[in-house]
Amino acid sequence: MRIVVAEDLYLLRDGMVRLVEAYGHQVVATATTGPEALDALLTWRPDVSIVDVRMPPTQSDEGLRAALAARSELPGLPILILSQYVEQLYARELLADGAGGIGYFLKESVFDADQFIDALERVADGGTAMDPAVIAKLLSSGSSTRRLGQLTEREHSVLSLMAEGLSNQAIGQRLFLSESAISKYTTSLFGKLGITDDDSNNRRVLAVLTYLNKP
Amino acid sequence: MRQLVSWVASACVGFVRACVVMVVSMLVPAVWAAAVALGIWWGAGNPWSWVAPFVLVCVSTLALSRPVCRMVRLLVARWTATVIPAGYRQAGPVTRMSTGYWWNGFSYERTSRDALMDQKWRVRWSDPATWRDLRFTGIAPLTVGLIASIPPAGVAAAVLAFSQSAPFIGILGLVVAIASAPYAWCSVEPVAVRFLRASPAMTLADRVDELTAQRADTTVVQAAEIRRIERDLHDGAQARLVALGLSLATAEKLMETDSDQAKALMQEARVSAATSLTELRELVQGINPPVLNDRGLVDAVRALALDSPLEAAVSADVQLRLDPPIESAVYFGIAELLTNAVKHAHATQARISIARDDTDIVVDVEDNGRGRASARAGGGLAGLRRRLAVFDGTLEITSPAGGPTRVRMMVPCESL
Repeated sequence: MRIVVAEDLYLLRDGMVRLVEAYGHQVVATATTGPEALDALLTWRPDVSIVDVRMPPTQSDEGLRAALAARSELPGLPILILSQYVEQLYARELLADGAGGIGYFLKESVFDADQFIDALERVADGGTAMDPAVIAKLLSSGSSTRRLGQLTEREHSVLSLMAEGLSNQAIGQRLFLSESAISKYTTSLFGKLGITDDDSNNRRVLAVLTYLNKP
Repeated sequence: MRQLVSWVASACVGFVRACVVMVVSMLVPAVWAAAVALGIWWGAGNPWSWVAPFVLVCVSTLALSRPVCRMVRLLVARWTATVIPAGYRQAGPVTRMSTGYWWNGFSYERTSRDALMDQKWRVRWSDPATWRDLRFTGIAPLTVGLIASIPPAGVAAAVLAFSQSAPFIGILGLVVAIASAPYAWCSVEPVAVRFLRASPAMTLADRVDELTAQRADTTVVQAAEIRRIERDLHDGAQARLVALGLSLATAEKLMETDSDQAKALMQEARVSAATSLTELRELVQGINPPVLNDRGLVDAVRALALDSPLEAAVSADVQLRLDPPIESAVYFGIAELLTNAVKHAHATQARISIARDDTDIVVDVEDNGRGRASARAGGGLAGLRRRLAVFDGTLEITSPAGGPTRVRMMVPCESL
């Protein structure tokens, strides 16, 4: 895969480049500021990019804004956002356009290299990858608790794993259940949430997240 | 017809009020007149017979000035809703020393009663409000007193004239009394506002005291905060990083001899690094929330509402940026109010509105909890009030039992 890495801290950028190259991917460009990142995203149109939220020149949410700007130009451009903080507001902004290819992870997720690369590949395929901490916050926030109150505990955990971007098979492995049992749970929870099911994994996750997005 | 009735009613009320104002403001001159009468009765020619009346005048003026002023303030507040702050100097606490004597801030006394009496007189003597009150007791009879006595004087003149069968003067007196009745007492408000409020010097002195107290509070709060951060770093992330270094060193050593255990240690080190990052993140969130830094108050509050277990709605009319310290104080204020709503009031919904007018930023937080919130000393709300006071901000709480609780924070800020 061709990857763009946008991160202002040299150590992290270098480490990340080395990590993805160790897994056999190619880093086509790196960026250290928000405008640079936007530039690199638009010129290289990478298969996936890793973008830090906070970057120069303002040291605020430059990276996030660059990602949003690039995606409004090239809808569905796969971007994995890395952040120091779990921020629902940012996750919701990223998911708002409803196109796939979005990831939002905490920086320490790179510690588990296998999982990180797996998520990166999911995003490149047009899926979503959300940090479990982000999902936990999305699901526990006030506006969604009432709506999700009707779900059973098992359905709740299936929903949160699904929202992280996992396939039915992967969810089954995590919960030690068969794939058919998982698909039964997903059907029932979709029924309860009033979401019409189609067979694409990403549509499904996005539907869930968009649903949670509603105020 | 209705107009006539209401005018008659206001005339009656005005007459009573004028009488009350006259009695209150003429109290001191009445005592003076009594003293003069006493002196004449004892013998006007003999200078020694004037000693007692003179003492009487001095003592009674001193003793009556404060009650008269209190009375006027009370009447003005009740009739016109204009509150005139008294601004009397407050006495400090009386403490018992190890010697058994009592210290009142000025002198040692044998008993607490003596100490309190001594303190009371010293405070009163040195209080500029005493001189202001004395001045007012001198001014009031000549201004308010004279005007307020027009209606009663008219009635008195009418009664006298009718009893001596001079109907023309009687009718004139009645007309004057009735015409002036609704208005005669009104002069008490402007005069009281002009002469009874605290002088600029007194306001300034109060303000200095207030600011000194605030500065002391701020330094204490700041020092406590720095201690907390230091302790959190020392016990959390720092210790974890040391352990991380240790396990890495051990893993390095074990790499050749026991690669399985080395791998396990590495894994442990990774988990420990992740945990220390979590701790650092929470610490930073408590010092300066990143969204507040990135996006400003309104978005930070939106993020707060999203994270809150309450169903919280945020309405803000503008995207405002304020001075960072004010922003941070307001943000943590809202955070605290939301936490209270969940923890103490068992609320499920909250409404937050942020608005600004020309001079203030006004934040309303309302929840549907069980109410009964109050700013107890040492409590969270009292602390919040103190933190806002640093910026001259105020905190109003309305929280009847059974809810809802409504808290309004107002912080003055110049338009940016």
